[in-house]
Amino acid sequence: MSLPDLAVEALASLDALEADGLSAFTGSGSPAEVEAARVEFLGMKQGRVKTAQERLKALEPSAKRAYGQRFNAVKGSLESAHDAAKARLDRPTLAIADGFDVTRPGTRPKLGHRHPLTQTTDELIDLFGRFGFTVARGPEVEDVHHNFDALNIPPVHPARDPLDNFYLSEGTMLRSQTSTVQIRVMESQPPPIRVIAIGRVYRPDTVDATHSFMFHQIEGLMVDKGVTMADLKTVLRLFARSYLGEDVKIRFRPSFFPFTEPSVEVDMLWHGGDRWVEMGGAGMVDPNVFRAVGYDPDEVTGFAFGLGIERLCMRRHGIDDIRLLYQNEGRFLGQF
Amino acid sequence: MIVSWNWLTEYLRLDMPVDALSERLALTGLNHESTEDVGGDLAIDLEVTSNRPDCLGHLGVAREIGVLFDRRVSFPNPRPPTSGDSVETLTGVTVEASDLCPRFTARVIKGAKVGPSPFWLRKRLETLGIRPISNVVDVTNYVMFECGQPLHAYDLSKLSESRLIVRKAVKGETLVAINNKTYELTPEMLVIADAARVVGLAGVMGGLDTEVGDATTDVLIEAARFDSMSIRRTSRALGLFSGASYRFERPLDPEATEWASRRCCELILKTAGGTLHPGMVDVGVARPARPPVTLRLGQIARVLGISVDRVDVLRILTALGLTHAGGSADAPSFVPPSWRSDLEREIDLIEEVARVHGYEHIPEDRAVPLTSAPRSTRERVEADVRYTLIGLGLDEAVTYSLVSEELAMPLALEDGGTPIRVDHSSRKRENNLRRSLVPSLLSVRQHNEAHGSADAELFEIANVYLPRVGKVLPDEPTRLALVSGRDFLGLKGIVEALLGRFHAEGDFEVRPVDVPMFKPGRSAELILAGKRFGFMGEVNPSVLKSLELRDPCSAAELAFEVLQERADLVPRYKPLPSYPVVARDLSLVVPQNLPWAELAGAVSRAAGKTLEAIVYLDTFKGGNLPEGWQSLHFGLRFRHPERTLTGDEVEAAVKVIVASCASQFDATLRT
Repeated sequence: MSLPDLAVEALASLDALEADGLSAFTGSGSPAEVEAARVEFLGMKQGRVKTAQERLKALEPSAKRAYGQRFNAVKGSLESAHDAAKARLDRPTLAIADGFDVTRPGTRPKLGHRHPLTQTTDELIDLFGRFGFTVARGPEVEDVHHNFDALNIPPVHPARDPLDNFYLSEGTMLRSQTSTVQIRVMESQPPPIRVIAIGRVYRPDTVDATHSFMFHQIEGLMVDKGVTMADLKTVLRLFARSYLGEDVKIRFRPSFFPFTEPSVEVDMLWHGGDRWVEMGGAGMVDPNVFRAVGYDPDEVTGFAFGLGIERLCMRRHGIDDIRLLYQNEGRFLGQF
Repeated sequence: MIVSWNWLTEYLRLDMPVDALSERLALTGLNHESTEDVGGDLAIDLEVTSNRPDCLGHLGVAREIGVLFDRRVSFPNPRPPTSGDSVETLTGVTVEASDLCPRFTARVIKGAKVGPSPFWLRKRLETLGIRPISNVVDVTNYVMFECGQPLHAYDLSKLSESRLIVRKAVKGETLVAINNKTYELTPEMLVIADAARVVGLAGVMGGLDTEVGDATTDVLIEAARFDSMSIRRTSRALGLFSGASYRFERPLDPEATEWASRRCCELILKTAGGTLHPGMVDVGVARPARPPVTLRLGQIARVLGISVDRVDVLRILTALGLTHAGGSADAPSFVPPSWRSDLEREIDLIEEVARVHGYEHIPEDRAVPLTSAPRSTRERVEADVRYTLIGLGLDEAVTYSLVSEELAMPLALEDGGTPIRVDHSSRKRENNLRRSLVPSLLSVRQHNEAHGSADAELFEIANVYLPRVGKVLPDEPTRLALVSGRDFLGLKGIVEALLGRFHAEGDFEVRPVDVPMFKPGRSAELILAGKRFGFMGEVNPSVLKSLELRDPCSAAELAFEVLQERADLVPRYKPLPSYPVVARDLSLVVPQNLPWAELAGAVSRAAGKTLEAIVYLDTFKGGNLPEGWQSLHFGLRFRHPERTLTGDEVEAAVKVIVASCASQFDATLRT
């Protein structure tokens, strides 16, 4: 055997050593087998790694460098394989002491679940509560005055169409928006006002994965001397950050609602996202709304905003069908 | 509204990328839905809010882009040549329903040659997704998509007496529209008629008989304005929606009517030839001049929170077409353009300034003043009810307020009568506003049984709707309802635990009562602090059957407001007792019809002040007890607040108790 052949053969023997060692460690099924493999390969006196190290001395100086590098790699790899095998098998013994099996499941009391819509609602009440908003309530069966007239929605407005509303008798209807509560609050107390109204609203949409004839809204209203659109943007930005995360941005897009002017859609952008997502509508309370409740629009200003609870809830929990929220299946509710 | 990129370039220079254009439009009021490449042109879909009908045509959108990108917009000024007899000799228009038709114009072209539109015209319409039909019809559509004013072309030779009448329909009249469908008309619908019959639904769709076809040579061009409510009602009543009705439902630019007619004739002459006869039949009432609107510049900062320079305010408003019409330096006045009927008040102008200036300039880091916002009792009780009930293993449900007839049954008898019903075609079945939550929860329980989740234990907090005599709005009390597979006492235990959470169980009473929902004898009325708190019971097997419930269950419905009123959210501390308790158990044999509550009351009264608590243990029947008798086993706890009780004192108290029960109920000690 020539000297170069010897060097080649030596390197090949290291490959074989690594392959044998790795299979011995990964194949071992008990701590005893790991230990046997350790002695065979990594043993301080007669382990195969030790033997391979000694072979270095016999090589030509020119071959030593390549062999040495390869040797170190193989040694490192087998040491890691040994540590991994040990960690894998190094668990306490599953012994049953005194005939009592601690691994059996505990005697677990049944715990119910709050509905995901309530969880969302409560979170919103909590967050807006921190910004100074208290909860206001109003009736779900409303008169047309509170649902439309006082909200600056004239009799000719398409929003009043009988096809788009649940009218009842005597000029009453199921409220189509929680903005009705704004009116009731302002009618019953002087400014300043800082309230949120949360509740059921009704519109005759055909029920499918994203539409329901009954859903929930949250509506905010702040009225005082000197309230501006900058305050609106500030409150909504604080809300977005508290609810969705510090890296959320908001923007306003012009829109049209009869009861606010200027009116905007509120979009939010999550960090890393490239799409603005529409979250709800907002705006400055229209002077006509103030007049309808007996406030002087030259005296006070105010803002209002509205968000759909279902949309927030579905987005937060990854729910893709609104109907699940009203079916109340245990398999669904139990996930929240 | 879909706009074509190429089309827009006829009015102004577009040298920005399409994405930059659509984003700027979105952020100033024309929300961008999508952009599609249609055969080399771009179809840009923009959402136009109902207050901006001026943007339902390319010219309006071009005008808007001109303002946003500071570009000059060139508007076509159609001057079609005319010849021949004046139009008045060829046709006539009578407007009978002038309240619904403020203006109606007609022009006449004779000798046109109807055929396919030229390529450029077909292309324009195809980008918008409109199928080309013929040159004359395509031109009417083109002009509508250009300026927002709908038009209609009639075959003049098919109009009886060559004239038009704008009137309301007569009962029994019908129209075969150009979509080949027959519509039955009602007297509130506005129609266009000739001397003999209805030839079109005003502003909605023309009639088949008089439409322009291949053989048509003489064309009458209608450009009119109609009452938007009337158009909407007709359109909705017939389920017939068109590009024209969509636009007429909104306040259109009154100045566009005549321009559109002229433009339409110019393009017909260009694409179909023929002769335009001089003049225009024009029936209508003059519109009063629009009053100027004053904008107090200080109001901008008051509403927006930022001020905008006077120069910028003037620039934005005049670019939008408003005319600066005097006023003071701090409060200039403006006359809005005809196409912006939405601009009537100072706040309308502030919004225009705000959206064009850009909402991104409004800061979002204001110091909003602090204010107190305590949670109300209602919220606290609601939250505690929820956490208590889920701790007891119940899931919360949210169910619809509208229920079907089967689920509309009331729980309390006095809530009888009829529920409030909605009358809407989409809710033929689930049209009753519920008076009780229990049926909804039973239905959810059934749904769960059918889907492999047996024994759903549920609660819901929601309103019920009870009509009130003499009041317009119903009463909407909030109820807390429970359903469970537990038996009567199991569910009652949940109610008691809930009351315990609010330190309210001391005022709780239960009385047997018959409620049709529940099994006789397993049904009770609940009283809290002397008020009706609700009902509970084991659900009647006939109800289970009708709702297809497999397993027996119990239900309760409680008045939330009664609980809220009685709830003690801030309990007062009572000093811990310093002296030991003395406990005694008793078994008294009493008649079987003696309720435990009555015996317990008698025991408490007889025992005196040292009796601290009485605890029910169990009931025994049968064995060596005589027929009709039961043994009630209970524990007594005695304690004196200031000293240790002696055994003799306790024995004496027990003797008094036994003697008192003996005299009241013939009770004897069980031996």
